[in-house]
Amino acid sequence: MLEIRNLHARIASTGTEIIRGLNLTVKAGEVAAIMGPNGSGKSTLSYVLAGRDDYEVTEGDILYNGHSVLEMDPAERAAAGIFLAFQYPMEIPGVATMEFLKVALNAQRKARGEEPLKVPDFLKRVKEAAASLEMDIAMLKRPLNVGFSGGEKKRAEILQMKLLAPSLCVLDETDSGLDIDALKIVADGVNALRAPDRAFLVITHYQRLLEHIVPDTVHVLYRGQVIKSGDKTLAHELEANGYAGIIEEAA
Amino acid sequence: MPAVQETIERVRKIDVDQYKYGFESIIEVDKAPKGLSEDIIRFISAKKDEPDWMLEWRLGAYRRWLTLEEPTWARVDYPRIDFQDLYYYAAPKSQSGPKSLDEVDPEILKVYEKLGIPLKEQEILAGVRKEPNGEDVEAGDNVYKSGRVAVDAVFDSISVVTTFKEELAKAGVIFCSISEAIREHPELVKKYLGSVVPVTDNFYATLNSAVFTDGSFVFVPKGVRCPMELSTYFRINEKNTGQFERTLIIAEEGAYVSYLEGCTAPQRDENQLHAAVVELIALDDAEIKYSTVQNWYPGDAQGKGGIYNFVTKRGDCRGDRSKISWTQVETGSAITWKYPSCILRGDDSQGNFYSIAVSNGYQQVDSGTKMLHLGKNTKSRIISKGIAAGFSQNTYRGQVNVHRKAENARNFTNCDSLLIGDRCGAHTVPYIEAKNSSAKLEHEATTSKISEDQKFYVMQRGIPEEEAVALIVNGFVKDVIQELPMEFAVEAQKLIGISLEGSVG
Amino acid sequence: MNMHATPQRTQAETALVEAFAARLSELPGDGAVMVKRDDAIEAIKDGLPTRRVEAWHYTDLRRLLTSVPDHDPTANPKPLVPVIEGSEVLSLLNGVVRGKAPALDGVTFQNLSDKLTDGSFAQALDPLDADDAIGFLNTAFVSDGWFVDIAPGAKIEAPIELQNLQAGGQTHVRLPVRVGAGARATIVERQAGSGAALASSVSNLSVGDGADVVWLIVQEQPETATHLAQFNAELGKDSRLTLFVMNAGGKLVRQEIRVKVAGAGADFQLRGVNLLAGDGHTDVTMVLDHAAANTGSRELVRNVVTGKARGVFQGRINVHQLAQKTDAKMACNTLLLSDDAEFSTKPELEIFADDVQCGHGATVTEIDRSHLFYLMARGIDEKTARGLLVKAFVASVIEELDNEALVDALEAKLDTWFAEHG
Repeated sequence: MLEIRNLHARIASTGTEIIRGLNLTVKAGEVAAIMGPNGSGKSTLSYVLAGRDDYEVTEGDILYNGHSVLEMDPAERAAAGIFLAFQYPMEIPGVATMEFLKVALNAQRKARGEEPLKVPDFLKRVKEAAASLEMDIAMLKRPLNVGFSGGEKKRAEILQMKLLAPSLCVLDETDSGLDIDALKIVADGVNALRAPDRAFLVITHYQRLLEHIVPDTVHVLYRGQVIKSGDKTLAHELEANGYAGIIEEAA
Repeated sequence: MPAVQETIERVRKIDVDQYKYGFESIIEVDKAPKGLSEDIIRFISAKKDEPDWMLEWRLGAYRRWLTLEEPTWARVDYPRIDFQDLYYYAAPKSQSGPKSLDEVDPEILKVYEKLGIPLKEQEILAGVRKEPNGEDVEAGDNVYKSGRVAVDAVFDSISVVTTFKEELAKAGVIFCSISEAIREHPELVKKYLGSVVPVTDNFYATLNSAVFTDGSFVFVPKGVRCPMELSTYFRINEKNTGQFERTLIIAEEGAYVSYLEGCTAPQRDENQLHAAVVELIALDDAEIKYSTVQNWYPGDAQGKGGIYNFVTKRGDCRGDRSKISWTQVETGSAITWKYPSCILRGDDSQGNFYSIAVSNGYQQVDSGTKMLHLGKNTKSRIISKGIAAGFSQNTYRGQVNVHRKAENARNFTNCDSLLIGDRCGAHTVPYIEAKNSSAKLEHEATTSKISEDQKFYVMQRGIPEEEAVALIVNGFVKDVIQELPMEFAVEAQKLIGISLEGSVG
Repeated sequence: MNMHATPQRTQAETALVEAFAARLSELPGDGAVMVKRDDAIEAIKDGLPTRRVEAWHYTDLRRLLTSVPDHDPTANPKPLVPVIEGSEVLSLLNGVVRGKAPALDGVTFQNLSDKLTDGSFAQALDPLDADDAIGFLNTAFVSDGWFVDIAPGAKIEAPIELQNLQAGGQTHVRLPVRVGAGARATIVERQAGSGAALASSVSNLSVGDGADVVWLIVQEQPETATHLAQFNAELGKDSRLTLFVMNAGGKLVRQEIRVKVAGAGADFQLRGVNLLAGDGHTDVTMVLDHAAANTGSRELVRNVVTGKARGVFQGRINVHQLAQKTDAKMACNTLLLSDDAEFSTKPELEIFADDVQCGHGATVTEIDRSHLFYLMARGIDEKTARGLLVKAFVASVIEELDNEALVDALEAKLDTWFAEHG
């Protein structure tokens, strides 16, 4: 589903290279965890995948279902099924969450040549999704993410993911700022979405999240490269021994 | 020619194919010569069948106007207007409109479509000429010519207009053109006209007093709550109210009225200069809400052409506990010079100003409000949202003044500006003046751009860039949009999106 | 300066024109300076600015300047103890340099009267714009001043206090100060006196790249004096200027502040306290230009107005098109303490760059009654409670200054004012 080939990317304004020859393949149905110390390029990777123009790809390619996405803008990538759950979801004053969900859903449907969803159908879907995440529907009438607690923001991200039903879900540090109860709800939400035709890229600093979202593969990112890949036991190893050993081993 | 028929003629002249070519004044019939003089004013007054006192009033204004100089303090820049090179009265030839929508500029039709305007209404807005069937219908004080001006297209039937007229009359509400009011209700006009915006007020208002040709008159008697929103949109015979519109709205003790001016669809208008005057009077416990959506021709992409809009709008909270609210969505005109104000004269009176001003291309907006606190316990609130894009200049200019005797005056002002692109300017010029120690005045202003973070977030959910910007902008203006009557609010939101097209990327 | 032709000169305008003719022969300056003086008096002949001139909207100088005293050569003000103990004091008494400059490593002092005659200063006398009434008045009559030149890299520990004192008549001085790259200094501009004087003073500060300057203006003219002052500054790359202004006196006061943040990464801070009593008129007008990228500014002005005093704060922030990433915030808060007190404020933003964060806030209120009640409920009498609250309102501005001696000195001034007017 996702194939990243020798990817090099830098910050557009400063020219600082962050991703330095990254290779990664994620198959349909796979949950891949990306782990790494601070500054290893984890968040940058998520932004580059989603097409943020603050970053420039200087070399390599990102293939999604066999096609390069490099020429696509963020909205086109989203419509193609790439979803990024943000580490810090933006607050958009004045735009009701419900309204936003509707606009986004219908924009994606339009891009795929589908009819806009009828309002009752839309409401039904939102209500179901909210209930499964134990979210109060009243919250969705508030402006998008404005005044939401950290946990509410993360739940709202998963709600959006559920509604938009993407095929590649990139979760950027979804566990940060969550208490254990919220973490469990979020993880359950993600697990419910696991499907043979859907892949997950779970970016995290800690093993904690991976106890709840059990990955098929684990990749260690360091200085913009994947320096080691393995199965879920690699995450346990990291938890026990830290990154130092693996970094040394790779060097 | 009677006034009503004349305005009907004017409606017919909304001639869309000239929109893209700019403006010209081809007047073939029933016109006054170019320029302004006492003779022209006598001509206008005679055409309108006005009483002598009205003519004298106009002449007084004209003589005053001759002594005035055009103001230069606003942050707008335009070539000098030659006031002798304008037509002040023209009832143009009728056979100039397109015959069907096929003849209308497709660009305009595209905008109509985006706004979701029904076909029938599109025809009216575009000035499509209907074959006359010559049928005259008596409707209250007014004569409507059906067919000839496609009155029937608004909500499909003239009977709607009639019903609505009857309903108003039953409630005792007078709603007619100002010309008609001068003839039919001279005692009311005499009492109130010029009592809020005096003849001597300012250059453009004085000019308007001398030459105004049309506008609306609303009178809501004591204790009456006007049963419906009044709007120039419904009063189809006033559709193209021309360059010197004069509106007078009076709410007697305990009365309530909500008035909607303008239309969200772009309307072609060949007059370069507009100088309207609107006066509102609220007596004890009365409330007036005045909402405007202004979408006149802003000029082309190079900044050529476009309407110069110099408006004087003022509300007088004359009675205790009275309330006046101005809500405006300004997206059109090349130049906007407009400061809807409130004189808070009655004790416990309240004035509100809610504004959205969007500028793109080479538009220049200098708009804001004045809140004059004279009575005790008066309150005012100002919410202004300016959005500048393209090469435009967008200025908020506002004054809050608390007089010495205005005990316990309160004002809250919030004015925010948003910049889209680095070739436009956003400016904030508030004047805050307190002469009473019990005043409590709060003012806050911010200027910023749409953050890249917000835009990326919205786009990541699959919303294309222009729509993403429109969505964020609509969030930014939410506080004002929700002050608009519901049916206006939806169209206004769409309109803001359309106005900003081409401003990103 | 006034585009609207004035049919007849006011008494003050006539007095100024006559004073110029009378004093011309005594005023220092080479030919080029004399040409500037002539141009300036011509501008005054055209009329002082009225409220029709936007920059003078709240201070109609033509109407407010009712009389102009003659220069009094016998006026003899006495030097004052400096605001901050241990400062180096440079005196200007009755408009002329008195005493010798101290010897200070890294600093050169020069009499302005010498510079006016040596051909190096004429250009600095150019007006800022057509409405620069203070510039015109000062240029026509400037008699002396101190020129202070701080060498690059010099760290001047002791504050330098420039004392401009009057005892009636007219005084017109200039204070040009140049701070070299990377240098550091604290300058106190002291404006005071005892007579019904007309005083004008123009300061020109140039802050070199990376330099760090703290500048205090302490204005304590008597209730009979007219004080027209201008502070102009230009900030170099990565430099920092903290300007503190305290106005506590004068009958007619206009303090203009014009700052150009010209170098990338520079930062400007303004803290102002205006204590207005009696029946005086005090106008603080700031024009701040952000002309380079990544610059910042914060302005906080607090006003206390009592008696029949009238106060004005106009603050305009211009953000030029090149000045992306500007972060500018301005606040002006006013307490009106008496029924006859007035305050007008005009905080403006003029923004031509899109990637900015700018804002301003303004409030005008009376003392919060609930606070007052709280203090009184604790047994504090009303007068004391009001005094405490008002002092707290302005003291918070002073306490932000990162210098204990300075804070102490200014708080002492606050106490003196409250003892007299609170």
